Amino acid sequence: MILHQIEALKDVGVTEVVLAINYQPEVMLNFLKEFETKLDIKITCSQETEPLGTAGPLALARDHLIDGSGEPFFVLNSDVISEYPFEELIQFHRSHGGEATIMVTKVDEPSKYGVVVMEEETGKVERFVEKPKIFVGNKINAGIYLLNPSVLDRIQLRPTSIEKEVFPQIAADEKLFAMVLPGFWMDIGQPRDYITGLRLYLTSLRKKSPSKLATGSHMVGNVLVHESAVIGEGCLIGPDVAIGPGCVVESGVRLSRCTVMQGARIKKHACISSSIIGWHSTVGQWARVENMTILGEDVHVCDEVYSNGGVVLPHKEIKSSILKPEIVM
Amino acid sequence: MGSSEDRVVAVIMVGGPTKGTRFRPLSLNIPKPLFPLAGQPMVHHPIYACRRIPNLAQVYLIGFYEEREFALYVSAISNELRVPVRYLREDKPHGSAGGLYSFRDYIMEDSPSYIFLLNCDVCCSFPLPEMLDAHKGYGGMGTILVSKVSAESANQFGELVADPVTKELLHYTEKPETFVSELINCGVYVFTPNIFASIEDVFMQRRGKAELRRVTSFEALQSATKAIPADYVRLDQDILSPLAGKKEFYTYETLDFWEQIKTPGMSLKCSALYLHQFRYTSPHLLASEHSAKRATIIGDVYIHPSAKIHPTAKIGPNVSISANARIGAGVRLISCIILDDVEVLENAVVIHSIVGWKSSIGKWSRVQGEGDYNAKLGSTILGEFGFCRR
Repeated sequence: MILHQIEALKDVGVTEVVLAINYQPEVMLNFLKEFETKLDIKITCSQETEPLGTAGPLALARDHLIDGSGEPFFVLNSDVISEYPFEELIQFHRSHGGEATIMVTKVDEPSKYGVVVMEEETGKVERFVEKPKIFVGNKINAGIYLLNPSVLDRIQLRPTSIEKEVFPQIAADEKLFAMVLPGFWMDIGQPRDYITGLRLYLTSLRKKSPSKLATGSHMVGNVLVHESAVIGEGCLIGPDVAIGPGCVVESGVRLSRCTVMQGARIKKHACISSSIIGWHSTVGQWARVENMTILGEDVHVCDEVYSNGGVVLPHKEIKSSILKPEIVM
Repeated sequence: MGSSEDRVVAVIMVGGPTKGTRFRPLSLNIPKPLFPLAGQPMVHHPIYACRRIPNLAQVYLIGFYEEREFALYVSAISNELRVPVRYLREDKPHGSAGGLYSFRDYIMEDSPSYIFLLNCDVCCSFPLPEMLDAHKGYGGMGTILVSKVSAESANQFGELVADPVTKELLHYTEKPETFVSELINCGVYVFTPNIFASIEDVFMQRRGKAELRRVTSFEALQSATKAIPADYVRLDQDILSPLAGKKEFYTYETLDFWEQIKTPGMSLKCSALYLHQFRYTSPHLLASEHSAKRATIIGDVYIHPSAKIHPTAKIGPNVSISANARIGAGVRLISCIILDDVEVLENAVVIHSIVGWKSSIGKWSRVQGEGDYNAKLGSTILGEFGFCRR
């Protein structure tokens, strides 16, 4: 996920990326080492020792972010996927001359989120309303910002919320602007939203680089298959399926609206829909996995088993059917 | 006692369309006695067991279905068994003993020394020759096949108490509310012809009482018991119960399987029991790797010769596939009954289910019951023309 963001940043000339994390930096850094050289971009970590909210980590990373040039820096929420129109964001930020620009996205049910109330023509932000009871607007914070270094002077090194404490201050000074995000947007923190996000991403890919999608008589709709994955005969794959590196899909398998992660094996005649199959897992012959089943790493579903929405923690073997959604520990 | 010329007649009670409503939706298309278990109609199994009885003269099926429903079956099975099988239609229900009595002229035509009475919806090993030998030894009017069940389930049946040494029937109660005994009535009996005299006695008593009632019509209105027509005689309550303890009836216990086939779910279990029994009685009926054209076969499986099975399918255990069914590539069938003309398309899975005539199961579909045979809704039942898409 994070690679999509880093690549998009590289494309607009970003030369250094700081990851603000609070857990196992070694894991992230090891993974990203190879991309540092491949993409020719510097990647460092800034680790919180205590949770600092959504703004505190920026203060923590101050030294990385201020390089004396006075240029603005991007802030991205890693759970968010979109088309990352960073070039347009930079243009807009320069044109209004304000202190900060946030991207917003239009949603059908704004009351679930925090709504950004703004002037339509200029994009100037008037105020934020958290989970409004009456309709005040339908744009919400998309979690993508472009900030001038002066914003850091407003943030103290303590647990701070950027939406509740920092942005309202900037808005009061009439220096906060918002830009509506074109294209798709999804917060994929929840597995269900991940599946929807996958569909949106693949739809966008079909428009931008259709050659990356798989084609063939056994493909339906948008399907992404890693070049090292192997698919058997008599399968029907799609729509909205992504198959990772080293995966093996045996013959007679049906996949729809699902993700098969690296190294997983789907055995003959199995049927998977609306589910996520974790790294190095196996789904047995004639098994049926559906309705938001999520298999963690190294989970093995035995032959002929049925899973209806099971959420299975890593390193488990599923020998009997899961008839209604539940967590298997 | 008996010479080797003693003839035997077997009578199988098959019921009628108003009975066996619990067997719907399957009994909506076919009389319950003709529903296939292990690839053969339900009534075939007791009839086939009768073959082992020495000097079997005739088999009668008694019920109140239309004659034409059984006409084809009866002539086919007569040819196959080389024993006359005939269907006799009751004009109205007479109860199990009443039915037997009303056809006594037919039954006694061959002057049999012994008469077997079997219920069609009983699933068991039918140890008929052994039962007959025991009956001859006891010298009573009748011998009842009995079985031990768990104390909790015993009250669903007729409970009997038998003398442990002489095996005489001492006491009989039908579906008691309190626990009486773990021994239950299996619904298989053998009688000597004087059973008819006992049944006639019951008719006489009833008529007598009816006349009394005419005298005191006030009492008739007050009657707390269900009004039973004078000619409805039940074997259990009206014959066995009163005559228990009078050295007339004896018991023969079977240690083999015994089940009642009341619901479609039970037919799955009973089909499996009969399939297993075929290993010993008719192994040529079971599918092997060769007969099924190289499809994978696990456990006991019956496949009708006209059914088409793709070599990549995996079938069994406990599967029965009827005529003209088509099983596609990569299909998995476990513990199920597939009826005539069903089409199961590629990679579908059917578990613990009954798929009705001419149904179609779509590619990658899954039809699955829970496998609890005793639960009312434990198995998936697709009636005729069921259509299942993925």
